[in-house]
Amino acid sequence: MKRISLTIALALSALALAAADAKPDFAAILRQIDDNADFGKQDYTAVYSIVTEKPGENPSAIQLKVFRRDEHNQFVFLIQKPDRQKGQGYLKIDENVWFYDPESGNYSHSTIKENIQDSEAKNSDFKKYTYSQDFTIENTESGRLGAFETWILTLRAKTNEVSYSKIRLTVRQDKPLPLKEEDYSVSDRLMRTTLFLPTYINAGGRLIPAKIKMIDEINKGTQSALSILDVTVAKLPDTVFMKNFLERAQ
Amino acid sequence: MEIFRLALRNLSRQKKRTFLLGGAIAFGLMIVTLINGFAGAFLTNISENFANLAAGHIFAQGVEKSASGREYELIRDDSLLLAAAKEAGIPAKYVTKVSSFDGNLVFAGHTARLTIDGVDFATETFLPERLVFKEGGLAGMKDRQGIIISDPIAKRLDVRPGDRLLVQLKTYSGQNNVGEFAVAGITPDPGIFGSMAGYANKAYVNELLNIGSGEYQTLGFYLPSLDGMDGYGDAFYKAVKARAAVFDRDAAKKETNPIRAFMNQGKNETWAGVKYRVYTLNDLLAQVKQIAEVLKTSSLVILLVLFGIIMVGITNTFRIIMYERIREIGTMRSIGMQRAEVRNLFLSEAMILALGGALAGLAVAGAVMAGLSMVNFGLSSPLFIILKNGHMTFRLDALTTAFDVLVVAALTLVSAMLPARKAARLDPAVALRTVK
Repeated sequence: MKRISLTIALALSALALAAADAKPDFAAILRQIDDNADFGKQDYTAVYSIVTEKPGENPSAIQLKVFRRDEHNQFVFLIQKPDRQKGQGYLKIDENVWFYDPESGNYSHSTIKENIQDSEAKNSDFKKYTYSQDFTIENTESGRLGAFETWILTLRAKTNEVSYSKIRLTVRQDKPLPLKEEDYSVSDRLMRTTLFLPTYINAGGRLIPAKIKMIDEINKGTQSALSILDVTVAKLPDTVFMKNFLERAQ
Repeated sequence: MEIFRLALRNLSRQKKRTFLLGGAIAFGLMIVTLINGFAGAFLTNISENFANLAAGHIFAQGVEKSASGREYELIRDDSLLLAAAKEAGIPAKYVTKVSSFDGNLVFAGHTARLTIDGVDFATETFLPERLVFKEGGLAGMKDRQGIIISDPIAKRLDVRPGDRLLVQLKTYSGQNNVGEFAVAGITPDPGIFGSMAGYANKAYVNELLNIGSGEYQTLGFYLPSLDGMDGYGDAFYKAVKARAAVFDRDAAKKETNPIRAFMNQGKNETWAGVKYRVYTLNDLLAQVKQIAEVLKTSSLVILLVLFGIIMVGITNTFRIIMYERIREIGTMRSIGMQRAEVRNLFLSEAMILALGGALAGLAVAGAVMAGLSMVNFGLSSPLFIILKNGHMTFRLDALTTAFDVLVVAALTLVSAMLPARKAARLDPAVALRTVK
């Protein structure tokens, strides 16, 4: 009897150790991160305020109203501040991103990889995440960031059309929410660090970080702080995602 | 002949007036000749300077389209293009194979944006033969990560030869990349266009662009002169078209901006493999050519406006002349001079004025052009692109100049015609009775 008890105890200990060592399905975590930021059939509206600091320059601020329809991979960004840029905007139709300047009344071609005005934020930062679609998991490790136990996923781009060829994504272990993203160049140099501060806004059941900090690792001292406000997931009229919306939105 | 002699004598009687009238005609023609001379050299100078900047007169680019619809400019294998060039008989002085990117150079908090061309310094002679250094030199390019930049960029970044700086760029497929360069040499300020270009070893540029060592983006043929460029371009296009898929050059050439037309062609098409763009410097400079045409048209308009004003002056002056000589005309008519001879006398005076003024105008224009050509504006001048080695140059077309002189002569004759006819119609008795 004693022997049986000992055997059971050993087996349970082994199971406990195995459970402790067992790693989660990281591909599923990536999918959950993507799903959490994908509003699907809901439309997403928010105000993004970006303050950019550069060495030797006064901080510059820009405020955008963001409209997203993830179901059709569409977005519109309308600049509200500063006044001299008010009315400028970005519109994604199919695979094209257009920049509208109300002063000239003209659209110029932009890309999803371009920075929003003079900030560290790119057009692609404001669209839904596509980590699981664009990257394969190259390496995983555990770590700690502040108060959070984390998984650190090293992701490698599946194609050479993805902006960064390598990303190190630090994800909370308790919830599939990213805390830090480090973007690397093709030559494997750290180019940008994005910190997703753990204060969240609940938007239609999805948790979005209310504050994001983007640090330029090449141009030292350059960084952008992004605050997300006035989030709604109410249905938007189709006309919002058409060119004449930007023209009329003066 | 007698009429011509009389006309000369009449003109010499009022030297000041003749000088002023002839001077007005000379001034008008001088202005027009200067504009024409400038416009004539404008396109040639821009073409030659651009040929140096673009390293060629005839170009080819390979374009691939990815599954996601993005276009990549890349020549992976140039054997087809070189065979086509051979068949087209392009007399290339240099063949350039350029890889380049727009990069953001970063050094100690300073940044500068410029185009960095990859050059094979071991085999290519086009650029090394033209480079002049203010500091450092080609020796520094033995470092694989060497870079040659212009003085304004060096000053902006606060760098000197030996300093190492970072460069941010996008690979040929648009991915973010970062490289490191060591400043090998600093060239003197080459002017507004040249200062935006830097040169690095092609092998390293290719690595940063994430393309193979033998691959590049633009093939260029540098001709001995601008002559025959379009003909060779057409022959090259035909030869490439016989071997591979090409963008429609004939359709692109019909557009105001052929290069943009080429770009637009690709947007609405899908293709597998490589499709080639063949173009010439003239296609790149199509809009500049329009500026030259506008200048030439403007000169004709200026000629007409100036001579409209001068014509009024000539008409009034000849009316005064007729009034002054009214008794003289009466006397000449009384002793047998015919009406046609009186009219011809006035017209001869006008013709002598026109031709004399035109000759003087051409001479003064020639002197002004010679004087301006001697002024060295320097290679760093913002006007660099329209200058030849820092100097203004002028090119006059003999036909255009002859046309301008004919226009001047015709307009002067028309201006003098009315007073001349009036003088011819004078009744000799009335003329003799007239008291001034």
